[in-house]
Amino acid sequence: MAEPLESAARPVDGERKNTGEPNGPALPPPPYLGRTVHIVGPVANVDMNQSPHPKNQRGELGKALFNLQHNTISRDPLTRVSAPNHFNDRRQFLTTVVNQPGKGKVNPSAVQVGDPAAMTRHIKAVARSMGADVVAIAPAHADFMYASARRYVQDGAAADDYEKSSPTELVKRFPYLIVATTAWDYDKLQAHRHHIGDAAYHVSQMKGVLILKALEGYVKELGYTALRGVCNPQAAGLASGVGELGRNGLLINKKFGARIHMPDPILTDLPLVPDEPVDIGVEDFCKICRKCAINCPTNSITFDNKEVFNGVEKYKINWLTCYKLRPYTHEHWGSCLTCATVCPFTKPNVWWRSLAVWALSTCPIPARPALVHLLKAIDDRFWGVARQTRVRWLGYDSGIKPGEHACTVAGCNASHEGAAAPGKVVGNMGYYAPLKENTNRFVKRGD
Amino acid sequence: MALRLGLLKIPWPKERSAKDPYWDYFIHTPPADRANSVVEMIRNAPEGNVFPNKADLHSPEITSSHVKEMARYVGADLVGIARLEGDSDAYPFAVVCAVRANYDPRAALGIGGQVPVQNGLFVTFVLSAWIRELGFRATAAPHGAAESLAAAAGLGKLNGEGRLETPQFGSCVHVADIIRTDLPLAADG
Repeated sequence: MAEPLESAARPVDGERKNTGEPNGPALPPPPYLGRTVHIVGPVANVDMNQSPHPKNQRGELGKALFNLQHNTISRDPLTRVSAPNHFNDRRQFLTTVVNQPGKGKVNPSAVQVGDPAAMTRHIKAVARSMGADVVAIAPAHADFMYASARRYVQDGAAADDYEKSSPTELVKRFPYLIVATTAWDYDKLQAHRHHIGDAAYHVSQMKGVLILKALEGYVKELGYTALRGVCNPQAAGLASGVGELGRNGLLINKKFGARIHMPDPILTDLPLVPDEPVDIGVEDFCKICRKCAINCPTNSITFDNKEVFNGVEKYKINWLTCYKLRPYTHEHWGSCLTCATVCPFTKPNVWWRSLAVWALSTCPIPARPALVHLLKAIDDRFWGVARQTRVRWLGYDSGIKPGEHACTVAGCNASHEGAAAPGKVVGNMGYYAPLKENTNRFVKRGD
Repeated sequence: MALRLGLLKIPWPKERSAKDPYWDYFIHTPPADRANSVVEMIRNAPEGNVFPNKADLHSPEITSSHVKEMARYVGADLVGIARLEGDSDAYPFAVVCAVRANYDPRAALGIGGQVPVQNGLFVTFVLSAWIRELGFRATAAPHGAAESLAAAAGLGKLNGEGRLETPQFGSCVHVADIIRTDLPLAADG
């Protein structure tokens, strides 16, 4: 399969064999990731098997979380078909079907790519035609890669011919990353920490996984290799200009704010033209805002400055406390999403939002703090510091308090046997689970 | 193609392939290895079990509206419910979903030409799994008379060639797999 991979337009890199050059000249310069994240020291490649989900699968995070992952069937039918665990039957969950290692072969007759720019436009149009909301190309860099021979793909190990290659060898041979992703629904997200917000998150995630798998298949059909489970998606997202990294540890996109998924990107040797990191003012905004830190139910988001972790300077969240809330709340929701929802960048994708982002990104950097204060004041005034929006969808209603049961669907004359007495819905307020008093029992709040 | 603004139709540049030299390959070249097609993956996946406890349902009209809302949320452009007569598995209802198709998937066999099928399978897989999780039987499968069922479900009318004509997209639609179910619904049309 090596020969068809050759193409006239591929960036010349002399050798095609993976020699790895252990005593090669100098390390490549650290990648530029925009203003929010700086690589300041040597970066150890992340071992995916030491990340939260695999740790929990092995039971290293305690019994409660282990049971949550393995032995908990959700009471909510929609969660049982859309969330990555808590299902009753794995076969009902589309991601188990779609997110297996791709078994298709690379097409032996490769499409010749004369103009990488045209191919880049094509791949982006392809991803959009399949329903991707955001698509961008990142230049691959060894620092982004996961530790070699330790691939991890949800629902099965990545099995490909390059599993033993070191990160340097991989990026030499496969210089580009295709980042394609979906955004989730703004209105449903307002009922975050609720099944409605879960639906917004999980359904768009399934769609994103499907699109990436289809795109992976298409790259192979074009006659080029497409590898999965090799790269840190956030690094690829930063390098390709999908967004900037916020205080909440999420990528913040120009159009959608923090409500985009960061699924596993595709590493490929298809000749493409990479995009560049963007500056939409997240750096200046996060320095001042702290809205996500105030709203986080577990105080997992820092109020302080950035710190250096594994050679990367960024805002670091406390993933363990974020994780440990989950067993207490799984009856009410699966994905918290509070930090994504309250982020002032997370708004419907409409003209006034584009105007604000345009103003911020064209404003000279020294003048930005003043503009940020203004925009944040507007956000606090109209969207609230802590929001309680009531959302109704498919008979779900976030105006019903957690633990109570009621049918608030207009015109429903079903008897609803088995349901408790109708709960009272007061005003137009949405409720989150857990309520603050419950959270305070196990979260230590500073000062 | 044309952009439709109520009664007005504005001609819209359709031919992407004029600017994109690879577009035709995307739409029309069938995959060399069918395992590269997501459509195949989903079609070959086994069906899950019906959840043992039936969910507490609303009245049939409201359940129907919820099923339709869910279908639209997962990506169906058109959705309707038809009553089935004499179904071999005694299913009383068919949920018919249709998605917009710029290319007819029966003629355009490339990965791009099959994108409507892919979108339709996403809808029918999630929707039928959801109905099974509600505790009712549901099967999504290709159906011989899909287009006439779509007409029966009020999605549009059949034209002279037996193809579905919809008011929204004309004949540029792909009728997805038919979901047959015994969930208590109210039929359209």
